[in-house]
Amino acid sequence: MKNILVITAIVLSFISCNDDILDITAKDRIADDAVWNDENLIRAYHNSLYNAIPHGFYIHMFSKFTDEAYNSAPGNWGAGIFVYPYTADNITEVGNGDYWGGYLYYWNRGYEYIRKVNVFLEQMAETPFSFDDKEQLIGEAKFLRAFIYFNLIERFGGVPIVAQSYELGEVTFTRNTFDECVEFIEKDLDEAMPVLPEKYASADANFGRATQDACKALLSRVLLYAASPLFNTSNDINKWQKAADAAAALLSSDYSLYPDYREAFILPSGSENNELIFTRNFTTTNGHQAPMHNLNRRYGAYGGWWGSNGPTQNLVDDYDMINGEPPFIYADGVKTINPASGYDPDHPWANRDPRFEATITHDSTIYHGDLMEMWIASNGATWGFDSYKQSGDNPRTNYVLKKFMPNEDVALSWQDFYTNPWIYFRLAEIYLNYAEAMFELGEEGICREYISKVRERAGMPPIPANVTGEDLRKRLYNERRIELAFESHRYFDVRRWKIAMDVENRPIMGLDVIKNVDTGEKTYTEVLLLERSFEERMYLLPIATVEINKNEGSIVQNPGWE
Amino acid sequence: MKLTTILLLLTFLNVTANSFSQNSRLTLALKNVSIQDVLDVLENSTDLKFLYRNETISDKKISINASNASVEEILDEALVGTGISYKLLSNNLIVIAQEEFLEKQGIKISGNVTDADGMPLPGVNILLKGTMEGTVTDVDGNFSIDVPSQEAILVFSSVGYISEEISIGAREVINISMVPDVTALEEIIVVGYGEQKKETLTGSVVNVSGKEIKKSPSSNLISSLAGKLPGLSVNQRSGEPGRDDPSILIRGVGTFVSDPADLAEANAPLIIVDGVPRSQMSRLNPDDIESISVLKDASAAIYGARAANGVILITTKKGIIGKPVFDFAYNYAVHSPTKIPDMLDAATFAEVYNEGDWYRKGRPVDNYVPFYSDEAVQKYRDGSDPVLYPNTDWMKEVLKPYSIQRRMSLQVNGGTEFVKYLFSFGSLFQDGNYYHNPTDYRQYNMRSKIDIDITKNLTVGVNLYTILNNRTYSPVVTWVNFYNILHSNPTLVAQYPNGLTAPGRLGENPLLLDQRGTDKIEDTPIYSTFTASYKIPFITGLKIDGSFNYDISNQFEKRFSLPYYYYEYNVNTGEYERKQGTGASTVELWDTYRKWTTMMYNIKIVYDRTYNNHHVSAMLGLEKQKNSYQFAEAYRKNFVSSAIDQIDVGSTDPADKNNSGSASATGYNNYFGRFNYGFSSKYLFEFLFRYDGSQIFPEGKRYGFFPGFSVGWRLSEEEFIRNNLLFVNQLKLRFSHGQTGNDRVDPYQYLQSYSFGDNYVLGSGDVPGIYANTIPNSNITWETSKKTDIGLEASLWNRKLGMELTLWQEKRSNILAQRNLSIPNIYGFSSLPSENIGKVDNNGYELVLNHRNTAGKLAYFIEATVSFARNKIVFMDETPQVEPYQNQTGHPIGAGLYYKADGIFNTKAELDSFPHPGGSRLGDIKIIDLNGDEKINAQDQFRFDYTATPEYIFGLNMNLQYRYFDLSIFLQGQTNAYNYDNAFVKLGNTDFDNAVVERANDRWTVDNPDGKMPRADAYQVGATTLFLYDATFIRLKTLELGYSLPSKITSKLKMKDIRLYINAFNLLTWAKEIKWADPEMSGDLTYYPQQRIINIGANVKF
Repeated sequence: MKNILVITAIVLSFISCNDDILDITAKDRIADDAVWNDENLIRAYHNSLYNAIPHGFYIHMFSKFTDEAYNSAPGNWGAGIFVYPYTADNITEVGNGDYWGGYLYYWNRGYEYIRKVNVFLEQMAETPFSFDDKEQLIGEAKFLRAFIYFNLIERFGGVPIVAQSYELGEVTFTRNTFDECVEFIEKDLDEAMPVLPEKYASADANFGRATQDACKALLSRVLLYAASPLFNTSNDINKWQKAADAAAALLSSDYSLYPDYREAFILPSGSENNELIFTRNFTTTNGHQAPMHNLNRRYGAYGGWWGSNGPTQNLVDDYDMINGEPPFIYADGVKTINPASGYDPDHPWANRDPRFEATITHDSTIYHGDLMEMWIASNGATWGFDSYKQSGDNPRTNYVLKKFMPNEDVALSWQDFYTNPWIYFRLAEIYLNYAEAMFELGEEGICREYISKVRERAGMPPIPANVTGEDLRKRLYNERRIELAFESHRYFDVRRWKIAMDVENRPIMGLDVIKNVDTGEKTYTEVLLLERSFEERMYLLPIATVEINKNEGSIVQNPGWE
Repeated sequence: MKLTTILLLLTFLNVTANSFSQNSRLTLALKNVSIQDVLDVLENSTDLKFLYRNETISDKKISINASNASVEEILDEALVGTGISYKLLSNNLIVIAQEEFLEKQGIKISGNVTDADGMPLPGVNILLKGTMEGTVTDVDGNFSIDVPSQEAILVFSSVGYISEEISIGAREVINISMVPDVTALEEIIVVGYGEQKKETLTGSVVNVSGKEIKKSPSSNLISSLAGKLPGLSVNQRSGEPGRDDPSILIRGVGTFVSDPADLAEANAPLIIVDGVPRSQMSRLNPDDIESISVLKDASAAIYGARAANGVILITTKKGIIGKPVFDFAYNYAVHSPTKIPDMLDAATFAEVYNEGDWYRKGRPVDNYVPFYSDEAVQKYRDGSDPVLYPNTDWMKEVLKPYSIQRRMSLQVNGGTEFVKYLFSFGSLFQDGNYYHNPTDYRQYNMRSKIDIDITKNLTVGVNLYTILNNRTYSPVVTWVNFYNILHSNPTLVAQYPNGLTAPGRLGENPLLLDQRGTDKIEDTPIYSTFTASYKIPFITGLKIDGSFNYDISNQFEKRFSLPYYYYEYNVNTGEYERKQGTGASTVELWDTYRKWTTMMYNIKIVYDRTYNNHHVSAMLGLEKQKNSYQFAEAYRKNFVSSAIDQIDVGSTDPADKNNSGSASATGYNNYFGRFNYGFSSKYLFEFLFRYDGSQIFPEGKRYGFFPGFSVGWRLSEEEFIRNNLLFVNQLKLRFSHGQTGNDRVDPYQYLQSYSFGDNYVLGSGDVPGIYANTIPNSNITWETSKKTDIGLEASLWNRKLGMELTLWQEKRSNILAQRNLSIPNIYGFSSLPSENIGKVDNNGYELVLNHRNTAGKLAYFIEATVSFARNKIVFMDETPQVEPYQNQTGHPIGAGLYYKADGIFNTKAELDSFPHPGGSRLGDIKIIDLNGDEKINAQDQFRFDYTATPEYIFGLNMNLQYRYFDLSIFLQGQTNAYNYDNAFVKLGNTDFDNAVVERANDRWTVDNPDGKMPRADAYQVGATTLFLYDATFIRLKTLELGYSLPSKITSKLKMKDIRLYINAFNLLTWAKEIKWADPEMSGDLTYYPQQRIINIGANVKF
């Protein structure tokens, strides 16, 4: 009996001594102080900052918010904004994520990354810990902050400038003007450039990092936007001059247009392409699925989901004929065939700008060795395998996106990830930025020259010297539409040019291919797919009502969205 | 000896009949003594017992002078001239009474008394009503008694059984079966770290016996609890085998979380199985369950910081002294969904789609070419072209009308004075509801429980059990699968007439799921408990209990995805082309090993003693617990063959491999205690506490003190009630108040930490990233809950009527909430720390009424319960809403924002005269302009007052026993719950999703301008009350009919007991509004539906 008492006493003492049961170190995370004293962890933190800038290969491309693609995605999801107009109340639902909205509503993500960059800059300023490329990493972070701000102002106009990481309740935010934001961006880029390398070759292991050239390219776009009618309301000509200078700064670099327009967008990351200035690269483990999101049902793909990323007839109409003439003339908003173009409505795709075939798949195109059949029999009883009648995953416009889509040598599968990069800046854009700024400065000759350089690569004749004034402006705008199609430019261009009230109010059209099964003869009928209604207030995105409320009156809503 | 005393004694004595002792001879010489003295002498010198009334013999004096006389001779002499006589009964009983009474020679009645299981019941008292005459049953339950006439009534009574009165009538043989008194006052209830008598319980604790649970054929233990325990809300939202765990709430929802998906988890009660917080409660073998108790009030405070949501205590059976008893049960069941939504047929679908398309195109007056031509619609309708114009009923194609479930259980139980044991084995197989989907569930339960008295004072025990289970599913997520079943449009072919399987929706035809691989999950847990109890020899009532518990849960998951193929009819070539589906393009495999461990030990000192009228008990203990979790994951693709699902068959190319792993650990350190004092079992007091330490919180803030107390007053023990209100058996008032905590918080929130992720690509290679986790909150602490209960318990008219009413109130504070709502996103916090800022009030009541009685051979028991719980957010960090009616504060947790709908716009005039959003057209939902600003925008939403969690829960339980038959009917219901189903809303959208028939019926169209439902592809400004449906329902939850074979037959078969039964689960459902799906749903209808089970079974004891 005594033994039992002894054992009990031993057990008790053993139990009561063991007090450290609550001291458990975390096994799946690292503490703050460990990060900022470890070069590898600092780099890892810095690497993750690059995720700040959205790429364009999300399921819903920006094209869906424009007249580039037909959007039929249902409900409030992602791109549904023209079917169900967005408001300040639902804007976070329609565009806050990489999945549905591709960060149309970039506000939350933008500020989240601004904070991350600010934390990084503050830690680097404080820490005595030093390593070889510390200054370069700081420069890259400043470039990223500038890029984030640009993404904010192109959507919202002037936004609050937050240059440090504030603690809770420390500050009341107010919106800075658009010009103040541009100044802030310029300052960040000015500080970044001296510590950054000039450039990396596109096949370099560091390609994708910020460089001096990336800073210049960003500045070129920022200043072009700042000079544009939407933001330059007084048409301050100095702004165009600054834009022109910024673009010119890159013209002397040794970039060159990639010879093959189609191939330029399907080369895997790490390929040699001297047109690229700054891209987001991908690998097979960290890749995108743009082909499966955009191709037709034949390949098991979803045609942009619900067949709703199909290029529109509106875009197709804007491809010039191979002779350099636009196929259509719009007189008082009425579309008529341009007799000089040689456009044949019975063969609508014949003799077009080669970029048309490089960008868009249509009926009777051969893609991946397959003959595309988008036709429907005149009696409606039979139809082509790629027509919308066959599957809701074949785009209703009867056009399929081809830009970015791989050639025969690459398998099409949901299992695979694709690595062709998302291009943020390439030389052709800089040419067009320059052309536009010079046009506004009255230098029409230079404007034609640079537009023509872009056309030349595609195999198109130059802009004739007799195209001047507003006609040249139309060609300039159209060149940008064609050359940069599906690269997330159109949405912003139609706004900054303030032409959206016109083009975004045009209905979205598709093309029905009607086949007489007996004769094999095909006829082409345009079909209205979507009536749209663009309002003046849509030039800028609304700030979410909930965010306005949180700021208790210090943040002013964009006009028309109050 | 007084009659009552004798009767009582007899109950406990061995009543084996000896030869009648009147044969013994006595010599007696007494003078002028009372009769009682004589009888006392006789009782002392023989084994005879006398039954008499004191009044009968009190004033009589007698003299006796007997030598070597028999008892009869002595009695004859002693009683002569007194007017008193005697009568010999069986069992050595002699009744002394008035002559005239005894002379009434009547009828001899004999019979047999059994318990509810048909076992003979010895020692039952049988009294002739209105007299003191009676007898008791022998060891075989037999009795015989003489009664004066056919009008006589016999009263049968026995401890633990309900007394019964039987009129004799013309019968000479009376066999009865006694109904156990389940709420007998002696009932013992398991409470935190101990047991208490229900009689003197002062906390709000309910319990249910294992026997009651077994009446449900559901394979899921928790789902069998629905409605059985007042205050416990069990909502089953899925019927998928092995994944059908319902959500459990005790007294509703008491706390909120930032992500509504975590609400059930944050409000989940603490579950203790045999003393240890354990997983897989729902997978326990129902045959192993002794009882389940639920601590609802301050009585949970002994579990401290984990008890705010209440505690469920599960106690398993243990060995009982006696010969081994084998108990075998076999159950065979068919199950099927309770309700499958009726979806549109192809022709209707096409029409609806055309309508939506026409609206989307701006309702053109002419030149509109419908998406589906009239001809096509006709073909869908007449089925003339099943290849191009099919009419597919996807549910019928995919789901079997019924599936199989089998359960088997074998248990042996017994013991000696020193060793008691129980061994049990159970197995379960449950098939999925599909034709072409590998879903099924297998489970094996094993338990061994042994208790040994090693010395007089030391008892040790071991309780080992496991719940092995194998779950097999398709690698395709269940809701996706149901989306592909329910929303697949009926104009898609499921299977071509030639037998080839078509692509289905997005190439994900559910008929292909048997080709796409499997997701197999294997659980092999071991739960172990070792106990020791030592009675301190020198101090009566003092003992030390200790237990050591180690649980290890191993899980291996094998997700094997295969490329799959379907055939697609090519309209141009007329051929069926074989195509690869959208899933895996090569064979790929994920192997995941997960391991959880719990090590817990406790030791407690228990003192329990009664001094005269004072009952004192005290317990003090300490407990330490350490949990760990770790996992490792491996992946490969490009397998050489799909024949072997092992990782090493995969490609060794680095690009084809991947792996992952991580770990976490938690620890608790607690001290707890309880003190009880009772005076005369009349005035009761209890105090309990826990001093709880958890590693979740920063150093110095790790410990919290959680006290609770309760008092009880048994009015029925007071003289004034005992003497005046004789129908009162039990009447008790109780009150409790206490504090508990909720520590379901992510750990390390007090530290700034970084996690790996957010990788990027530079050049053509990945570069690693890390990102900062939530900013730290160094002040983080417990969420606290203050609970107050007041209760009244009554048992009246010989327990024929029982009642229990509890009113309760709970105040939660320090609820961890994020200040998200008032902090501008411009700060750039990716997420905000939880802070102890939220407050919620929750209150309600529980009422239980029961009635038990017998009517002839029919014994019945009816119990009705109602529980009500309503919560209200008192404070949360809320964005200042423009309109006060949108605030969450003041409304229940999880209450949604809805636009108030007032039907639809049926006329142009109506549309023009009411404000409406830009997208609204004729046939759209008419939304009320709540703030009267002539605009419909977010400000017109209002905060609704109900959620999918019901406020009222009902249960109605009826048990009937008639001879060898027993019938149990259990109805369950809920009200004050509403469900908004996003999937139901859709009709004729561009996504080609099929819709529910009820949504399409009476929709507004140009031809049906008076329709009540909105048009196809109706403009949705947001969720509106038009589609918010009352989820009130009543269902026949369980029904059981059993037949026990008479003992005549079982004894011939050398069996103790054989019972055959049929039972059913979710047999019938009446729903108020949600008639297209199971009304117990929450959210969208794309989920695995709840099951109706019909089961036959047999139970054999030998």
